[in-house]
Amino acid sequence: MEALLFTQGLNVIYEALILAILVLGLAVVMGLLNVLNIAHGEFIMIGAYAAYVVQRAGLPYLLAIPAAALVCGAIGLVVERCLIRPLHYEPFETLLATWGLGLLLRKCVELAFGRGYRSVEIPIRGSLSLFGESYPAYRLALMAVAALVLASLFIWYRRAPTGARIRAMVGNPVLAEAVGIRTRELARNTFITGTAFAGVAGVMVAPLTPVEPFMGLTFIVNSFFALVVGGMGTVAGLFAGATIIGGLQSVLSAAVSPTSAYIAMLLISILFLWQRPRGLFPRP
Amino acid sequence: MAYFLVRSILILAFLILIPPLLGEFWAYQLGLYFIYGLAALGVGLTWGQAGILPLGQGMFVAIAAYLTAHGLLAFGSSPIAYLALPAASVLVAVLAFAFAALVFRGRFEQGPSFSLITLALTLAAFQVANGWSSVTGGFNGLRNIPGLPGLDGFLDLYYLIAILLGLSIAAVDYLLHAPIGVLWRAAADNERRLAFLGYDVAVIKAAAFATASGLAGLAGALYAPQQNLVTPDLAGFAFSGDLVIFAAVGGRATVLGPVIGAIVVGVLSAELRDRFPWWEIGIALFFIVVVLRLPGGLMTLFAPLRRFSFARTATRARSAAPGKPRIATSLSVAFEDVRVRVGDVTILDGLSVRTGEEAVLCVIGPNGAGKTSTLNVMTGMLPRRGGRIVIDGADVLRPQPAIVANRGVARKFQTPSVFPKLTIDENLSVALWAGRWRGLDVLRLGLFAWTSPLLEEMRRRFQFLNAGTRPASALSHGERQILELTMALITEPRMLLLDEPCAGLSHEETAAVIDAIQWARGELNLRIIIIEHDMELVRRLADRVVVLHQGRFLADGSVEEVQRNPEVRAVYIGGSR
Amino acid sequence: MTGGYFEIQNVSGGYGSGRVVREVSISIGRGEVVCLLGRNGVGKSTLAKLACGFLRPMSGAVRLAGVEITGKRPSENLTRGLTYCPQERVVFDDLTVAENLSLMRTNRRLDEFEPYFRVFPRLSERRGQHAGTLSGGEKKLLSFVRGLSERSDINVIDEPTEGVQFENVLHMADLILSHKKAGASFLVVEQNLAFVDRVADRIVIMDHGEIVLSAAASEVDRQDILAHLTV
Repeated sequence: MEALLFTQGLNVIYEALILAILVLGLAVVMGLLNVLNIAHGEFIMIGAYAAYVVQRAGLPYLLAIPAAALVCGAIGLVVERCLIRPLHYEPFETLLATWGLGLLLRKCVELAFGRGYRSVEIPIRGSLSLFGESYPAYRLALMAVAALVLASLFIWYRRAPTGARIRAMVGNPVLAEAVGIRTRELARNTFITGTAFAGVAGVMVAPLTPVEPFMGLTFIVNSFFALVVGGMGTVAGLFAGATIIGGLQSVLSAAVSPTSAYIAMLLISILFLWQRPRGLFPRP
Repeated sequence: MAYFLVRSILILAFLILIPPLLGEFWAYQLGLYFIYGLAALGVGLTWGQAGILPLGQGMFVAIAAYLTAHGLLAFGSSPIAYLALPAASVLVAVLAFAFAALVFRGRFEQGPSFSLITLALTLAAFQVANGWSSVTGGFNGLRNIPGLPGLDGFLDLYYLIAILLGLSIAAVDYLLHAPIGVLWRAAADNERRLAFLGYDVAVIKAAAFATASGLAGLAGALYAPQQNLVTPDLAGFAFSGDLVIFAAVGGRATVLGPVIGAIVVGVLSAELRDRFPWWEIGIALFFIVVVLRLPGGLMTLFAPLRRFSFARTATRARSAAPGKPRIATSLSVAFEDVRVRVGDVTILDGLSVRTGEEAVLCVIGPNGAGKTSTLNVMTGMLPRRGGRIVIDGADVLRPQPAIVANRGVARKFQTPSVFPKLTIDENLSVALWAGRWRGLDVLRLGLFAWTSPLLEEMRRRFQFLNAGTRPASALSHGERQILELTMALITEPRMLLLDEPCAGLSHEETAAVIDAIQWARGELNLRIIIIEHDMELVRRLADRVVVLHQGRFLADGSVEEVQRNPEVRAVYIGGSR
Repeated sequence: MTGGYFEIQNVSGGYGSGRVVREVSISIGRGEVVCLLGRNGVGKSTLAKLACGFLRPMSGAVRLAGVEITGKRPSENLTRGLTYCPQERVVFDDLTVAENLSLMRTNRRLDEFEPYFRVFPRLSERRGQHAGTLSGGEKKLLSFVRGLSERSDINVIDEPTEGVQFENVLHMADLILSHKKAGASFLVVEQNLAFVDRVADRIVIMDHGEIVLSAAASEVDRQDILAHLTV
């Protein structure tokens, strides 16, 4: 029984961490810059395809990470210049524009790779024995990497000079310009970092799910609503959202059914959107 | 009106002529796209007019389609089956109204939240449709749905769809030009101003959403017999997204735009999708271009034809608006130890002040004294943390702008708050209708002819108000101030709150405004509370002056008394800190 | 009047369609302190924003050392030697006092701020605190120190003494005078006459968006000032 609980507990932590990594890019773009990037899932999808391409080419899987970051960052650069900046980072308008972008990206990938499912092989095979239960090694590796990435990122955000400047810009953009922060460039770089993160998240989840052009759609729903519930623009918000939504999905999927879990998540999100649209831990 | 009838008949005729020209195959194909057009028509209404972006209209189409499917399966060949059409649309519209009114209640300008809620709902609806096999047939949906009785072949059903589409277009066209259309556009333009005129903004917006959903319901009801198949895909967010794209690409601010968008994109997609893999990329790109540069969509190509649109002529005989009940006394207000905090900052720190016999009360004080906050907390824009506010003897517990307005309080904001996208006449109409319209008046074109003696007087004093077809955005800052003042006055309030009414006005404009205020004060039993910095104004208008400082009452009296008061002088020069 | 180091020439503008500032011209030379006075709502803060690039003027020009900077971005203007301290939202609430000061520096040590800390020990005590928890006057002090530490040729400061205790107001005046001696110029929007008395070389008074008085401080009578300022 303890073993079952232990595995369940590990699953919950796993779901929360994975969701946090998946949401990270959106937390940056939507939480910090107020851009409703509904094409976020497509960036994850492109990252997954990057992993597929790298693996097919026989290269070490780790190379997929910089590859995905580069591709998604480059696309992010174009998107920021052509869509986001002309629309002045406005939520409604960027929601619409990125809806179109998502369609565009899905279609382009479909043209390039076809509609079929591709599979990416798990780079770390086998399982580890923990407390008498075996748990897939790749999942453990992912959890470790995710925890590491998130922790270092948050330390960086709170300690590094650029992190401070981003925090300054987000909290008081007028004063930020006054003290010499070039907000236009900083916002652009922050956006590109967000899309790059999404790509890297795609590399991480690629071995675990069928890679096809429409895979982004499931990710965007979870990501969006994790931020709605957790709150935008804060570290606490990201963790709270990922834990609640990810944990909920995990527990309910196992206890009842994946569909019920999904519906429950949607209903909770609707409740929050209605009564507490800023989430649990919003930016002040 | 003539234009409207001619246009509607032309559209109807055009729709009916297609099959003889293009053949039965096209009648079948177009039937489907007309159905999409019907749903897109609704999206255009709620989005283009009322500013509500619906990301989940597919859900309403699906609900109506499933309901109609069951109706047809149950009643097969009996004419009762036809009842499914109005029943499904009305049911869906009522559901939508209740839902929207609930969500919009008490919330201003909540941004994309509502859109995201509709998205979440449609995603949930898709899951339900997929899973609830007993009712929806699950993933495979309901099949072999019979057609509507008495209609043979594709052609008959086509005519029904075409007629319903034509009638719906005419109905929406009418609504857009009726008072309700103006109110929808006003809500999209400046919700706060609409609420402060006393309108129930939640209901107005919900009405737009409900109408759109009713159209989606009608589309769904026609879908079932046309396709003979209803699957959960209707509720998926791809279809809902497509509807938004149809409306955007066609031109969401017009009546025909969304319909044309649906038909053009639908037909071209069907034709070109297989031959041209780049087709859908092209559509996505065009959609992005529309969002970036071309909000008018395809209809901007038809802009020259707008001359034939349903334009209201300016030379309309004026008729008297119904009068408002005139109460002999003006409103009084009393603040007792009112406290307001926003985060860590104390804005009002136990403010106690009450109006007395004076007609014009000027409130002055240095920066941060809490002057505008006093008006905000009285009208419900700031929450109160302590103390009492009493308007006309009745304790106001949780004020809401519309409720306070309906008690006779009109407010003019520091930065002129009008409806910039509406014409001057429409701005004035919205203000004039407030509190005077009853029931189905919102559908009566006659309301545009309303005027009142007060309005006529203001039109006489300020000539620019007579150029009624100019958009308010074209007005200068000073003219906008005066327009807002006029709008506040013609509601015939018992208390008028003016926040720096002469800010940014030239000397002549200031004199004219002061004159108008003096005149209005005589005409109506009006109490006026003015926040001002300009002492010249205060001297000319004030019967009594109240000085606030750091969220508290500091001093009051006549203008001279306050000017001589040493505490007041100290506060202005900053030496007392 | 050409030849000033910081030239505001016939600038008009405001927010949106409103013309809050009407054809205002102010010329500031090197090492000169100009104080801008006027009641609330006359356009002083708006003028400061127009001059520093936060609002685009409808007409007129702004020049710094002869170079036109009208409508250029504030971050760019800072590199040309123009510092701005706003009237409200004066610090980064989410950052600590130390982070507020060292934000644009390459190193995190606060050595260069020691002289300021000696004058305002309170700030030093609170260096690890989030700036949002400071009192209004302390925030103004922090903003003031940040601005002065940029060592710009031109400093536009909007209401530096609002909420500040009297002794610190005197310190602020002394700091401005010492920077002035080093050649820096100041345009200070102020309502505190004691402060103005101490620092101003010239006094400019605005009303209804226009300049109604502009003269050397020595030539202006207290009574004139009061007449324009008080009720």
